Amino acid sequence: MSSDDELAERLRDGDEKALRTAYDRHGAAVLYLAQRLLGNRADAEDVTQLTFVAAWTGRDTFDPGRGTMLGWLLGIARRKAVDRLRSAARDDRLTETVRAQTAPADETESPERIVDRLVVADELGRLPDEQRRTLELAFYDDLTHPQIAAVTGLPLGTVKSHIRRGMANLRRRWEVDGAAFGSRSVGPSRAL
Amino acid sequence: MQHLDPDRLVLLALSEDQQHSDESEHLAGCAGCRYDLESLREVSEIGAQTQDLRDLPPPPEHLWRAIEAEIAPAAASPGGSAAVTDLAAHRGRAHRRRSRWLAPVLAAAAAAVLAVAGTVVFDRLAGRTGGEQVLARATLAPLETVPAAAGGDVRVLADGQMRVDVRGLPLTTGFHEVWLIDPDDLTKMVAIGNLSGQPDVVLPVPVGTDLNRYRLVDVSDEPHDGDATHSGRSLLRGTLTS
Ligand SMILES: [Zn+2]
Repeated sequence: MSSDDELAERLRDGDEKALRTAYDRHGAAVLYLAQRLLGNRADAEDVTQLTFVAAWTGRDTFDPGRGTMLGWLLGIARRKAVDRLRSAARDDRLTETVRAQTAPADETESPERIVDRLVVADELGRLPDEQRRTLELAFYDDLTHPQIAAVTGLPLGTVKSHIRRGMANLRRRWEVDGAAFGSRSVGPSRAL
Repeated sequence: MQHLDPDRLVLLALSEDQQHSDESEHLAGCAGCRYDLESLREVSEIGAQTQDLRDLPPPPEHLWRAIEAEIAPAAASPGGSAAVTDLAAHRGRAHRRRSRWLAPVLAAAAAAVLAVAGTVVFDRLAGRTGGEQVLARATLAPLETVPAAAGGDVRVLADGQMRVDVRGLPLTTGFHEVWLIDPDDLTKMVAIGNLSGQPDVVLPVPVGTDLNRYRLVDVSDEPHDGDATHSGRSLLRGTLTS
Protein backbone atom coordinates (compact mmCIF):
# COMPACT_ATOMS: atom_id res chain seq x y z
CA MET A 1 0.00 0.00 0.00
CA SER A 2 1.53 3.26 -1.11
CA SER A 3 1.47 6.39 1.01
CA ASP A 4 -0.42 9.55 0.15
CA ASP A 5 2.87 11.16 -0.88
CA GLU A 6 3.66 8.45 -3.34
CA LEU A 7 0.09 8.41 -4.62
CA ALA A 8 0.14 12.18 -5.08
CA GLU A 9 3.37 11.96 -7.02
CA ARG A 10 2.00 9.31 -9.35
CA LEU A 11 -1.18 11.31 -9.76
CA ARG A 12 0.75 14.46 -10.67
CA ASP A 13 2.68 12.42 -13.21
CA GLY A 14 -0.61 11.67 -14.92
CA ASP A 15 -0.80 8.01 -13.92
CA GLU A 16 -4.47 6.96 -14.19
CA LYS A 17 -3.74 3.95 -12.02
CA ALA A 18 -3.08 6.32 -9.13
CA LEU A 19 -6.58 7.72 -9.50
CA ARG A 20 -7.90 4.18 -9.53
CA THR A 21 -6.04 3.50 -6.29
CA ALA A 22 -7.55 6.65 -4.78
CA TYR A 23 -10.99 5.49 -5.95
CA ASP A 24 -10.52 2.03 -4.43
CA ARG A 25 -9.30 3.55 -1.19
CA HIS A 26 -11.65 6.49 -0.81
CA GLY A 27 -14.50 6.13 -3.31
CA ALA A 28 -16.74 4.57 -0.65
CA ALA A 29 -16.26 7.53 1.71
CA VAL A 30 -16.88 10.07 -1.07
CA LEU A 31 -20.03 8.24 -2.13
CA TYR A 32 -21.22 8.02 1.47
CA LEU A 33 -20.74 11.76 1.99
CA ALA A 34 -22.52 12.61 -1.25
CA GLN A 35 -25.39 10.30 -0.44
CA ARG A 36 -25.84 11.80 3.01
CA LEU A 37 -25.74 15.33 1.64
CA LEU A 38 -27.96 14.78 -1.37
CA GLY A 39 -30.30 12.13 -0.10
CA ASN A 40 -30.42 10.00 -3.21
CA ARG A 41 -28.18 7.49 -4.84
CA ALA A 42 -28.31 8.79 -8.42
CA ASP A 43 -27.18 12.32 -7.51
CA ALA A 44 -24.62 10.88 -5.11
CA GLU A 45 -23.07 8.80 -7.89
CA ASP A 46 -23.03 11.83 -10.18
CA VAL A 47 -21.26 13.92 -7.54
CA THR A 48 -18.79 11.10 -6.86
CA GLN A 49 -18.01 10.99 -10.55
CA LEU A 50 -17.59 14.78 -10.69
CA THR A 51 -15.33 14.62 -7.63
CA PHE A 52 -12.89 12.11 -9.07
CA VAL A 53 -12.87 13.80 -12.47
CA ALA A 54 -12.15 17.14 -10.73
CA ALA A 55 -9.45 15.46 -8.66
CA TRP A 56 -7.87 14.26 -11.87
CA THR A 57 -8.11 17.65 -13.56
CA GLY A 58 -6.83 19.44 -10.48
CA ARG A 59 -4.30 16.83 -9.43
CA ASP A 60 -1.53 19.44 -9.33
CA THR A 61 -3.27 21.21 -6.46
CA PHE A 62 -3.16 18.30 -4.02
CA ASP A 63 -0.50 19.01 -1.43
CA PRO A 64 0.19 16.11 0.96
CA GLY A 65 1.71 18.66 3.33
CA ARG A 66 -1.67 20.29 3.87
CA GLY A 67 -3.84 17.25 4.44
CA THR A 68 -4.47 13.72 3.34
CA MET A 69 -5.83 12.49 0.03
CA LEU A 70 -9.11 11.58 1.74
CA GLY A 71 -9.49 15.03 3.27
CA TRP A 72 -8.82 16.62 -0.09
CA LEU A 73 -11.33 14.41 -1.91
CA LEU A 74 -14.02 14.97 0.72
CA GLY A 75 -13.46 18.72 0.43
CA ILE A 76 -14.05 18.56 -3.32
CA ALA A 77 -17.09 16.31 -2.87
CA ARG A 78 -18.63 18.68 -0.34
CA ARG A 79 -18.36 21.62 -2.71
CA LYS A 80 -19.77 19.61 -5.61
CA ALA A 81 -22.68 18.42 -3.47
CA VAL A 82 -23.41 21.92 -2.21
CA ASP A 83 -23.33 23.23 -5.81
CA ARG A 84 -25.79 20.52 -6.74
CA LEU A 85 -28.11 21.42 -3.86
CA ARG A 86 -27.95 25.10 -4.71
CA SER A 87 -28.74 24.62 -8.36
CA ALA A 88 -31.55 22.25 -7.43
CA ALA A 89 -32.91 24.90 -5.07
CA ARG A 90 -32.66 27.52 -7.82
CA ASP A 91 -34.51 25.28 -10.24
CA ASP A 92 -37.12 24.73 -7.60
CA ARG A 93 -37.72 28.43 -7.10
CA LEU A 94 -38.01 28.90 -10.83
CA THR A 95 -40.37 26.06 -11.38
CA GLU A 96 -41.98 26.23 -7.95
CA THR A 97 -41.78 22.51 -7.56
CA VAL A 98 -41.49 20.70 -4.31
CA ARG A 99 -38.49 21.76 -2.27
CA ALA A 100 -38.63 18.72 -0.08
CA GLN A 101 -37.12 16.66 -2.87
CA THR A 102 -33.79 18.41 -2.59
CA ALA A 103 -33.56 18.53 1.18
CA PRO A 104 -30.73 16.47 2.60
CA ALA A 105 -31.77 13.08 3.89
CA ASP A 106 -30.65 13.86 7.40
CA GLU A 107 -30.79 17.50 8.36
CA THR A 108 -29.66 16.92 11.91
CA GLU A 109 -26.08 16.18 10.89
CA SER A 110 -23.98 18.91 9.31
CA PRO A 111 -21.75 18.22 6.30
CA GLU A 112 -18.77 19.11 8.50
CA ARG A 113 -19.72 16.48 11.01
CA ILE A 114 -20.05 13.79 8.34
CA VAL A 115 -16.60 14.68 7.03
CA ASP A 116 -15.21 14.56 10.57
CA ARG A 117 -16.66 11.11 11.11
CA LEU A 118 -15.23 9.86 7.81
CA VAL A 119 -11.70 11.08 8.50
CA VAL A 120 -11.71 9.80 12.08
CA ALA A 121 -13.06 6.44 10.91
CA ASP A 122 -10.29 6.31 8.30
CA GLU A 123 -7.62 7.13 10.86
CA LEU A 124 -9.01 4.56 13.27
CA GLY A 125 -8.59 1.98 10.54
CA ARG A 126 -4.95 2.97 10.13
CA LEU A 127 -3.96 2.71 13.79
CA PRO A 128 -1.78 -0.16 15.01
CA ASP A 129 -4.00 -3.14 15.89
CA GLU A 130 -3.92 -2.87 19.68
CA GLN A 131 -4.49 0.89 19.67
CA ARG A 132 -7.40 0.42 17.34
CA ARG A 133 -8.88 -2.46 19.31
CA THR A 134 -8.75 -0.69 22.67
CA LEU A 135 -10.33 2.45 21.18
CA GLU A 136 -13.10 0.42 19.54
CA LEU A 137 -13.93 -1.12 22.90
CA ALA A 138 -13.98 2.33 24.51
CA PHE A 139 -16.00 4.01 21.71
CA TYR A 140 -18.41 1.34 20.55
CA ASP A 141 -18.81 -0.82 23.65
CA ASP A 142 -18.39 2.02 26.14
CA LEU A 143 -15.97 0.00 28.23
CA THR A 144 -13.77 1.57 30.90
CA HIS A 145 -9.99 1.11 30.95
CA PRO A 146 -10.14 -1.70 33.55
CA GLN A 147 -12.90 -3.46 31.59
CA ILE A 148 -10.83 -3.22 28.40
CA ALA A 149 -7.85 -4.66 30.26
CA ALA A 150 -10.03 -7.56 31.42
CA VAL A 151 -11.46 -8.21 27.94
CA THR A 152 -8.17 -8.00 26.08
CA GLY A 153 -5.88 -9.47 28.74
CA LEU A 154 -3.57 -6.48 28.37
CA PRO A 155 -2.08 -4.86 31.50
CA LEU A 156 -3.99 -1.74 32.57
CA GLY A 157 -0.95 0.46 31.98
CA THR A 158 -0.71 -0.80 28.39
CA VAL A 159 -4.39 -0.13 27.80
CA LYS A 160 -3.91 3.40 29.11
CA SER A 161 -1.01 4.15 26.82
CA HIS A 162 -2.74 2.61 23.77
CA ILE A 163 -5.79 4.76 24.35
CA ARG A 164 -3.78 7.90 25.03
CA ARG A 165 -1.68 7.43 21.88
CA GLY A 166 -4.66 6.37 19.81
CA MET A 167 -6.62 9.43 20.89
CA ALA A 168 -3.64 11.65 20.10
CA ASN A 169 -3.43 10.14 16.60
CA LEU A 170 -7.14 10.62 15.95
CA ARG A 171 -6.96 14.17 17.24
CA ARG A 172 -4.01 15.05 15.03
CA ARG A 173 -5.74 13.65 11.98
CA TRP A 174 -8.98 15.44 12.83
CA GLU A 175 -7.11 18.72 13.19
CA VAL A 176 -5.50 18.23 9.78
CA ASP A 177 -8.47 16.90 7.80
CA GLY A 178 -11.59 17.53 9.83
CA ALA A 179 -14.07 19.95 8.33
CA ALA A 180 -15.41 21.31 11.60
CA PHE A 181 -11.92 22.22 12.66
CA GLY A 182 -12.03 24.91 10.00
CA SER A 183 -8.52 24.72 8.60
CA ARG A 184 -9.80 23.46 5.28
CA SER A 185 -12.25 26.22 4.51
CA VAL A 186 -9.80 27.95 2.19
CA GLY A 187 -7.09 26.56 0.00
CA PRO A 188 -5.88 26.05 -3.51
CA SER A 189 -8.24 23.15 -4.09
CA ARG A 190 -11.19 25.49 -3.65
CA ALA A 191 -11.27 26.26 -7.34
CA LEU A 192 -12.03 22.67 -8.25
CA MET B 1 1.39 25.50 37.53
CA GLN B 2 0.81 21.77 37.32
CA HIS B 3 -1.11 20.93 34.09
CA LEU B 4 -3.45 17.98 33.86
CA ASP B 5 -1.78 14.67 33.11
CA PRO B 6 -2.46 13.45 29.53
CA ASP B 7 -3.92 10.19 30.85
CA ARG B 8 -6.29 12.15 33.08
CA LEU B 9 -7.37 14.31 30.14
CA VAL B 10 -8.23 11.18 28.18
CA LEU B 11 -10.19 9.67 31.05
CA LEU B 12 -12.13 12.91 31.50
CA ALA B 13 -12.72 13.20 27.75
CA LEU B 14 -14.14 9.68 27.66
CA SER B 15 -16.31 10.56 30.70
CA GLU B 16 -14.78 7.62 32.47
CA ASP B 17 -13.88 9.71 35.50
CA GLN B 18 -15.33 12.79 37.19
CA GLN B 19 -13.24 15.92 37.51
CA HIS B 20 -11.72 16.35 40.94
CA SER B 21 -12.22 19.76 42.45
CA ASP B 22 -8.55 20.74 42.02
CA GLU B 23 -8.78 19.72 38.35
CA SER B 24 -11.89 21.83 37.79
CA GLU B 25 -10.12 24.71 39.41
CA HIS B 26 -7.10 24.29 37.14
CA LEU B 27 -9.23 23.96 34.02
CA ALA B 28 -11.09 27.16 34.89
CA GLY B 29 -7.81 29.02 34.87
CA CYS B 30 -5.84 27.24 32.13
CA ALA B 31 -6.88 27.76 28.52
CA GLY B 32 -4.35 25.21 27.26
CA CYS B 33 -5.71 22.30 29.28
CA ARG B 34 -9.27 23.40 28.58
CA TYR B 35 -8.57 23.38 24.87
CA ASP B 36 -6.92 19.95 25.02
CA LEU B 37 -9.85 18.52 26.96
CA GLU B 38 -12.42 19.99 24.57
CA SER B 39 -10.55 18.62 21.54
CA LEU B 40 -10.26 15.15 23.06
CA ARG B 41 -13.95 15.22 24.02
CA GLU B 42 -14.89 16.10 20.48
CA VAL B 43 -12.65 13.36 19.09
CA SER B 44 -14.12 10.74 21.41
CA GLU B 45 -17.63 11.85 20.50
CA ILE B 46 -16.84 11.62 16.79
CA GLY B 47 -15.04 8.33 17.32
CA ALA B 48 -18.09 6.81 18.98
CA GLN B 49 -20.07 7.65 15.82
CA THR B 50 -17.80 5.90 13.36
CA GLN B 51 -18.98 2.33 13.74
CA ASP B 52 -21.19 2.32 10.65
CA LEU B 53 -18.38 3.81 8.54
CA ARG B 54 -15.80 1.17 9.18
CA ASP B 55 -17.03 -1.24 6.55
CA LEU B 56 -18.56 0.83 3.81
CA PRO B 57 -19.40 -1.17 0.70
CA PRO B 58 -16.86 -0.72 -2.08
CA PRO B 59 -17.88 1.91 -4.63
CA PRO B 60 -19.46 0.44 -7.77
CA GLU B 61 -17.35 -0.57 -10.72
CA HIS B 62 -19.64 1.07 -13.28
CA LEU B 63 -19.03 4.40 -11.56
CA TRP B 64 -15.30 3.96 -11.96
CA ARG B 65 -15.71 3.20 -15.63
CA ALA B 66 -17.71 6.40 -16.06
CA ILE B 67 -14.88 8.33 -14.37
CA GLU B 68 -12.26 6.54 -16.43
CA ALA B 69 -14.11 7.26 -19.65
CA GLU B 70 -14.27 10.94 -18.78
CA ILE B 71 -10.70 11.56 -17.67
CA ALA B 72 -8.94 9.88 -20.55
CA PRO B 73 -11.06 8.15 -23.16
CA ALA B 74 -8.00 6.49 -24.64
CA ALA B 75 -7.08 5.07 -21.25
CA ALA B 76 -10.42 3.33 -20.88
CA SER B 77 -9.49 0.89 -23.61
CA PRO B 78 -5.80 1.07 -24.31
CA GLY B 79 -6.36 -0.76 -27.57
CA GLY B 80 -6.24 2.81 -28.75
CA SER B 81 -8.22 2.77 -31.97
CA ALA B 82 -10.67 5.60 -32.45
CA ALA B 83 -13.47 3.08 -32.55
CA VAL B 84 -12.68 1.74 -29.12
CA THR B 85 -12.40 5.26 -27.74
CA ASP B 86 -15.88 6.10 -28.95
CA LEU B 87 -17.22 3.07 -27.18
CA ALA B 88 -15.65 4.14 -23.91
CA ALA B 89 -16.93 7.69 -24.22
CA HIS B 90 -20.38 6.42 -24.91
CA ARG B 91 -20.28 4.29 -21.81
CA GLY B 92 -19.55 7.33 -19.68
CA ARG B 93 -22.64 9.07 -20.94
CA ALA B 94 -24.76 5.97 -20.82
CA HIS B 95 -23.89 5.39 -17.19
CA ARG B 96 -24.77 8.86 -16.11
CA ARG B 97 -28.13 8.62 -17.77
CA ARG B 98 -28.69 5.19 -16.44
CA SER B 99 -28.05 6.22 -12.89
CA ARG B 100 -31.10 8.47 -13.02
CA TRP B 101 -33.93 6.53 -14.51
CA LEU B 102 -32.84 4.06 -17.12
CA ALA B 103 -31.99 1.12 -14.93
CA PRO B 104 -35.39 -0.61 -15.07
CA VAL B 105 -35.57 -0.43 -18.86
CA LEU B 106 -32.03 -1.54 -19.59
CA ALA B 107 -33.01 -5.11 -20.29
CA ALA B 108 -35.74 -3.91 -22.57
CA ALA B 109 -33.26 -1.65 -24.36
CA ALA B 110 -30.98 -4.58 -25.02
CA ALA B 111 -33.87 -6.44 -26.55
CA ALA B 112 -34.72 -3.42 -28.65
CA VAL B 113 -31.29 -3.53 -30.23
CA LEU B 114 -32.29 -6.87 -31.66
CA ALA B 115 -35.75 -5.72 -32.62
CA VAL B 116 -34.48 -2.86 -34.78
CA ALA B 117 -32.02 -5.04 -36.62
CA GLY B 118 -33.29 -5.11 -40.17
CA THR B 119 -32.40 -8.08 -42.31
CA VAL B 120 -32.75 -11.48 -40.82
CA VAL B 121 -29.78 -13.30 -42.21
CA PHE B 122 -30.65 -16.67 -40.87
CA ASP B 123 -33.09 -18.35 -38.61
CA ARG B 124 -33.31 -21.70 -36.93
CA LEU B 125 -34.73 -23.32 -40.04
CA ALA B 126 -31.58 -22.63 -41.98
CA GLY B 127 -29.77 -25.09 -39.79
CA ARG B 128 -31.85 -28.09 -40.94
CA THR B 129 -29.80 -28.64 -44.05
CA GLY B 130 -26.37 -29.32 -42.62
CA GLY B 131 -24.56 -29.77 -39.35
CA GLU B 132 -21.38 -27.79 -39.82
CA GLN B 133 -22.35 -25.55 -42.69
CA VAL B 134 -20.53 -22.26 -42.08
CA LEU B 135 -22.41 -19.05 -42.77
CA ALA B 136 -19.68 -16.64 -41.76
CA ARG B 137 -16.27 -16.68 -40.16
CA ALA B 138 -13.87 -14.26 -38.50
CA THR B 139 -10.27 -14.35 -37.36
CA LEU B 140 -9.82 -12.66 -34.02
CA ALA B 141 -6.71 -10.53 -33.52
CA PRO B 142 -5.44 -9.12 -30.22
CA LEU B 143 -5.75 -5.42 -29.44
CA GLU B 144 -2.53 -3.59 -28.64
CA THR B 145 -2.49 -4.22 -24.91
CA VAL B 146 -3.05 -7.92 -25.28
CA PRO B 147 -0.15 -10.36 -25.79
CA ALA B 148 0.45 -10.85 -29.49
CA ALA B 149 0.08 -14.61 -29.14
CA ALA B 150 -3.60 -14.20 -28.24
CA GLY B 151 -6.14 -14.77 -30.95
CA GLY B 152 -9.06 -16.82 -32.06
CA ASP B 153 -11.42 -18.06 -34.73
CA VAL B 154 -15.15 -17.66 -35.00
CA ARG B 155 -17.52 -19.60 -37.20
CA VAL B 156 -21.21 -18.92 -37.42
CA LEU B 157 -22.90 -22.19 -38.33
CA ALA B 158 -26.07 -22.62 -40.30
CA ASP B 159 -27.91 -23.90 -37.22
CA GLY B 160 -27.55 -20.50 -35.58
CA GLN B 161 -24.69 -21.51 -33.33
CA MET B 162 -21.46 -19.59 -33.09
CA ARG B 163 -18.34 -21.63 -32.49
CA VAL B 164 -15.62 -19.60 -30.79
CA ASP B 165 -12.04 -20.81 -30.37
CA VAL B 166 -9.65 -18.58 -28.48
CA ARG B 167 -6.06 -18.89 -27.33
CA GLY B 168 -3.64 -16.93 -25.19
CA LEU B 169 -6.19 -14.66 -23.50
CA PRO B 170 -4.87 -12.85 -20.43
CA LEU B 171 -6.15 -14.23 -17.14
CA THR B 172 -9.13 -12.39 -15.71
CA THR B 173 -10.70 -12.08 -12.29
CA GLY B 174 -14.01 -11.70 -14.14
CA PHE B 175 -14.95 -13.46 -17.37
CA HIS B 176 -14.58 -13.17 -21.12
CA GLU B 177 -17.68 -12.14 -23.01
CA VAL B 178 -18.38 -12.43 -26.72
CA TRP B 179 -20.17 -9.57 -28.47
CA LEU B 180 -21.37 -8.76 -31.96
CA ILE B 181 -20.95 -5.06 -32.62
CA ASP B 182 -22.14 -2.77 -35.39
CA PRO B 183 -18.84 -1.26 -36.65
CA ASP B 184 -20.74 1.72 -38.04
CA ASP B 185 -22.23 2.53 -34.65
CA LEU B 186 -20.13 1.10 -31.86
CA THR B 187 -22.80 1.78 -29.30
CA LYS B 188 -24.97 -0.92 -30.83
CA MET B 189 -24.05 -4.42 -29.82
CA VAL B 190 -25.43 -7.81 -28.93
CA ALA B 191 -24.08 -9.90 -26.05
CA ILE B 192 -23.65 -13.46 -27.25
CA GLY B 193 -22.38 -15.21 -24.17
CA ASN B 194 -19.28 -15.87 -22.13
CA LEU B 195 -16.39 -18.19 -22.68
CA SER B 196 -16.44 -19.49 -19.11
CA GLY B 197 -12.71 -20.07 -19.20
CA GLN B 198 -12.84 -22.60 -22.03
CA PRO B 199 -10.81 -22.34 -25.21
CA ASP B 200 -13.66 -23.65 -27.37
CA VAL B 201 -17.33 -22.89 -26.87
CA VAL B 202 -20.51 -22.97 -28.92
CA LEU B 203 -22.92 -20.12 -28.27
CA PRO B 204 -26.35 -19.50 -29.79
CA VAL B 205 -26.68 -16.32 -31.85
CA PRO B 206 -30.03 -14.69 -30.99
CA VAL B 207 -32.53 -15.30 -33.74
CA GLY B 208 -33.01 -12.21 -35.88
CA THR B 209 -29.49 -10.87 -35.46
CA ASP B 210 -28.41 -9.09 -38.65
CA LEU B 211 -24.92 -10.37 -39.23
CA ASN B 212 -24.34 -7.91 -42.04
CA ARG B 213 -24.74 -5.14 -39.53
CA TYR B 214 -23.44 -6.78 -36.36
CA ARG B 215 -20.35 -8.15 -38.05
CA LEU B 216 -17.62 -7.07 -35.65
CA VAL B 217 -16.87 -9.90 -33.21
CA ASP B 218 -15.45 -8.65 -29.92
CA VAL B 219 -14.17 -10.56 -26.90
CA SER B 220 -14.01 -8.43 -23.78
CA ASP B 221 -12.84 -8.74 -20.21
CA GLU B 222 -15.84 -8.24 -17.92
CA PRO B 223 -15.77 -7.86 -14.15
CA HIS B 224 -18.35 -9.65 -11.99
CA ASP B 225 -20.18 -6.45 -11.12
CA GLY B 226 -23.70 -7.27 -12.20
CA ASP B 227 -23.45 -4.70 -14.97
CA ALA B 228 -24.59 -6.28 -18.22
CA THR B 229 -23.08 -3.63 -20.50
CA HIS B 230 -19.70 -3.83 -22.21
CA SER B 231 -16.81 -3.04 -19.87
CA GLY B 232 -14.90 -1.10 -22.52
CA ARG B 233 -11.99 -3.51 -22.18
CA SER B 234 -11.79 -5.28 -25.49
CA LEU B 235 -9.20 -8.03 -25.91
CA LEU B 236 -9.81 -9.55 -29.35
CA ARG B 237 -11.60 -8.37 -32.43
CA GLY B 238 -12.34 -9.61 -35.90
CA THR B 239 -14.87 -9.01 -38.66
CA LEU B 240 -17.26 -11.67 -39.90
CA THR B 241 -17.16 -12.44 -43.60
CA SER B 242 -19.12 -15.06 -45.46
ZN1 LIG C 1 -3.16 23.44 32.25
